[in-house]
Amino acid sequence: MKVGLFIPCYVDAVYPEVGVATYKLLRHLGIDVTYPEKQTCCGQPMANAGFEKQAIPLAEKFEEKFKAFDYVVAPSVSCTAFIRMNYPRLLGGKTPQHTGEGHICETAKKCMDVVEFLHDVVQVRQMLGTFPHKVSLHNSCHGVRELGLSSPSEQHVEKFNKIKDLLQLVDGINVVEPERPDECCGFGGMFSVEETAVSAQMGKDKVERHIATGAEYVTGPDCSCLMHMAGVASKQGLNIQFKHVVEILAAGL
Amino acid sequence: MSSKEEILKKYRANVRERYDMPDLSDIQAVTYPEPLVQFVKMSEMVGGQVIEIDPGRDINTLIRQLFPDAKEIASNLPEITIATRNPDTIGRARDLNGTDIGIIRGSFGVAENACVWVPQTMKEKAVCFISENLIILLPKSQIVNNMHEAYRRIEFNDYGYGTFISGPSKTADIAQVLVMGAQAARSVTILLMPE
Amino acid sequence: MSTQHSKAAKEFLKNPNYAKWHDATFWAVRTKRDNMAQGLEEWEQLREKASAIKRHTITHLDEYLNQFATNAEKNGAIVHWAKDAHEFNEIVYGILKNHDVKKMVKSKSMLTEECEMNPYLEARGIEVVETDLGERIIQLKGQKPSHIVMPAIHLNHDDVGELFEEKGISTEKGNHDPTYLTYRARLSLRNEFLTADAGMTGANFGIAKTGDIVVCTNEGNADMSTSCPKLHIAAIGLEKVIPDYDCLAVFQRMLCRAGTGQPTTTYTSHFRKARPTAHHMHIILVDNGRSEWIGNPDHWEVLKCIRCGSCMNTCPVYRRSGGYSYSYFIPGPVGINLGMLRDTQAHSGNVSACTLCLSCQTVCPVKIDLGDQIYKWRQQLDDFGTANPQKKLMCAGMNMLFGSPTMYKMATAVSPLANIIPSFIMNMKLNPWAEGHEMMKFPKKPFHEMIKDYEQ
Repeated sequence: MKVGLFIPCYVDAVYPEVGVATYKLLRHLGIDVTYPEKQTCCGQPMANAGFEKQAIPLAEKFEEKFKAFDYVVAPSVSCTAFIRMNYPRLLGGKTPQHTGEGHICETAKKCMDVVEFLHDVVQVRQMLGTFPHKVSLHNSCHGVRELGLSSPSEQHVEKFNKIKDLLQLVDGINVVEPERPDECCGFGGMFSVEETAVSAQMGKDKVERHIATGAEYVTGPDCSCLMHMAGVASKQGLNIQFKHVVEILAAGL
Repeated sequence: MSSKEEILKKYRANVRERYDMPDLSDIQAVTYPEPLVQFVKMSEMVGGQVIEIDPGRDINTLIRQLFPDAKEIASNLPEITIATRNPDTIGRARDLNGTDIGIIRGSFGVAENACVWVPQTMKEKAVCFISENLIILLPKSQIVNNMHEAYRRIEFNDYGYGTFISGPSKTADIAQVLVMGAQAARSVTILLMPE
Repeated sequence: MSTQHSKAAKEFLKNPNYAKWHDATFWAVRTKRDNMAQGLEEWEQLREKASAIKRHTITHLDEYLNQFATNAEKNGAIVHWAKDAHEFNEIVYGILKNHDVKKMVKSKSMLTEECEMNPYLEARGIEVVETDLGERIIQLKGQKPSHIVMPAIHLNHDDVGELFEEKGISTEKGNHDPTYLTYRARLSLRNEFLTADAGMTGANFGIAKTGDIVVCTNEGNADMSTSCPKLHIAAIGLEKVIPDYDCLAVFQRMLCRAGTGQPTTTYTSHFRKARPTAHHMHIILVDNGRSEWIGNPDHWEVLKCIRCGSCMNTCPVYRRSGGYSYSYFIPGPVGINLGMLRDTQAHSGNVSACTLCLSCQTVCPVKIDLGDQIYKWRQQLDDFGTANPQKKLMCAGMNMLFGSPTMYKMATAVSPLANIIPSFIMNMKLNPWAEGHEMMKFPKKPFHEMIKDYEQ
C-alpha cells in the first residue's frame, strides 16, 4: 500500500508541525508514505467564495501528482471533504462506472483524512503516543457531516466517534466533549472575513464551551477550525491551548 | 386561458425528472404494549386530564363535581342531562360564547401523542373551541398506536369537518413561556367510557 | 466586503445579553427537537420517506393539483387558482367584497405574508386581525415576523406587556407575566372572533385524494376563525398538496416534532366544506413562482419544504443574527434559498451568511440539501452580477498564487515577515481577519522545507 501525503496550503505555511506529525505517525505504523513535491492548494478557499471553477486546474494537478498512490492522506477534514465531494464533478464526472473508460477522478476518491484512514483502513489498535492531559474534542463540521467521522448530534443513529476512538490509544489522555459537541466554530472560510461579528461570536462561544470542560487543550481534525478558535481565544484573552489530533496521536513517538 | 390552465401549462413545461412514490408499507412506526397506558401518559404530558369511568357511573354527576361553578354547559349528546345549551339548536355560533363546559364525543385516541379524533357531529362546531373547558367522551377500547393507524380509520360525515385534539389549547409565543389556554379550551378532560 | 446581513448581524451582536438569550432560546428548541428525534426509532426512516414522498409529489404536481381541485369541488368548496401574489390578493378582495366583509380574522399563513395580503386589504378598507398570538403581537407593533413559527420570539415579556398596556389589551399596568398577558390577549381576540365577518386560514397540507385542507395549530385559532364567522377562505401554496392520508401521517408526525419539539400540535383540523350555517368555503391555490422553480435543476427540492422552522433553530448564524438580519421575509437556511429563487438581485447578500456547517440539512425532516444549495448559489453569483468584487479579486490572487508552485514557494518563504509587522498595521480595516482574531504566527520553515529533514 503506497500512501501519498497531501499537505494543505495553510498546514504547509502556518502549521508545518501538523504535517510532520502526520508523516512521523504514518512511518511509525510502517506505512510507505511519500510526500510529492510542489503541492499548493486543493482549491477550497476559492470554491467556498463562489469561484469553484478556479479549483479545476488544481484538481487536474492533484490527479496527476497522486495517481500512482493507493491512498492520498491529508491532515484536514475540510480539504479531504472538498476533494472527495467535488473533484469528480469538477473534472467532468467521468468514472469507470459511468463511461467504462479512463481513471479520471479515481484519485479524488482515494483521498482520506488521516483520522478516517487510521481508523478505517489501517485499523490501528496498538497504543500510540503519550499525552497525559485533559483534552476537549472539537468535532469539525466537515468531519461530522461530510466524512462521517462521528455521529451527527442531529441524527437518531448509533453513536460513534472515530476521533475519540483513536485518541483513546494515547497513553495518559483524558478525552471530553463540550456542550453542543458538533456546533460549528464559525470559521467557514470566507465567512470569517465576511461576517466578522458572527464568526468571532461563534468562535468565542465555542472556545468558552471547550474551556468549561476543564480541559487544557482543544483538539480536532482540522487546523482551520483550530486556527480560527486560537485567534479568537488570543484576542479575547481566553486561556486554552490548541493541538491537531495527529500531533497528540504522535506525541512522544 | 384561465389561470388554472396557465399554471398547469407552465408547470408541465418546467418539471424535469419525475420521481416514483415510495413504498410506505415498511414504515416501522412505534407501537406500545399497552396503548391505553401510553395514551393516558401522553394526555397528561400535553396538559390534559384523563378519568376512567366505571360501568354504571353517572357522568353528569361527575361533571358537576369536577366543575362545581359551571353555569353554562353546552352539549348535544343524549346522555348528557345537564346541558343548558345545545350546539344543534343554538341560533348563532357566537351565542355559544360564555360556555363553561363543552361536552363532545371523540371517536378514538392515538397513543403516541394523545390526539383524539373528533369528527363534527353537531351543527355548530364552535362548541369544541369556544368553551372554556372541554370534556371529551372517549370509548376506552378505541385507542390506536400511532398516526399511521389513525389516518387509516378516520371517518367523515356530511358535515365535512374533523379534527385531532391533543390537550388544551396552548401557546409559548410570549418569551417562550408555555401557557395553557390560548384561543380555545383552557382545559381538556377525557372521560374513558366503558363499552 | 460587508453585506446587509453582516452589518445587521454586527448591530444585533452589539447587545451581548440579548444575543445570548436569542441563541439560547433557539438552541433550546433544537434540543427539544433532538429529544423527539431520539425518542422515535423510526425517525431517520420517516425523514427518508418524507423526502421521497415530496420528491414524487412535487414532480407529479399537475396530477395531484387536478385531483385535489376536483375532490374539493365535489365536497362543495369553491376552488380558485392564482398565478401570482397580485392575483391572489385580488381574488381574496373579490370574495370579501361580495360578502360585504368589514373585518376578517386570520390564522397564521406565511403565504399571505409572501403575497403581502394584509396591506392590500387594509388599503381597501378591510380590517385584518391576526389571531396567532405571536402574529397578533407583531401586527400591533407594526413589525414583520422574525421567525416562521415563532414570529414574536425576538420580544421579551416586558416588550409585550408594554405593548398590551398601550393598546388597552391589558388593564393591570406593570403586570408582564406571560400567563396574564396571554389571558388578556384571549379576551381581546375572543371579541374579534365573535364579530368578524370572515376567517382566513393557510394550509399546512392539502390532500389530493379527499380534497381536505389540513391546518395545524397549538392555539386553536384556525378553528375559532372558522367556527364563528360565516365565511372561510383557505390559502394554499401549490407545493403543499400531498397525495393521501398515508402520506399525511408521515408529515403530521414530523412537522411539530421538528419545528417545536412537541409530538403534535394541539389541533390538526381537516376542512372539507363550510359548516351548514356558513357560506361556501373558498380555497385559493397559489403559484407565485413555484411552477417555475420546479424547473431549476439545482434548487427545485426547496419545494419539499413543509415550513417547520427547524433549519432556523439549528442554524448557528441565524441564532446569532436574528430574523431581521436577512433581507428576505423568511430567514435562515430555507430563507436564503427561497430568497434567491424569488429575486437574485435583492437577496444575494444572504448567501454568505452561512458557514456551510450543514446542520440545517441534517435536521430537515424532508431532507432538503439546504447547505449544499447555498454553496451552489455562491457559484452562480458571478453570472447574476452580484458576486462581491473584493472576493473576486482575492480569489484571482489566490488562483495565481496556488497555480504556480514557484510563486507559492516564494510566498511561504517571506510569510514569516508577517510576524514582525506591527499590530497597528495588521489591525487596520484592510485586514478583516484581525477584527476578531489575533494574527497567527508564521513559522520560519514551511512544511515543504521541514520535511526534507525527515525523509530518508
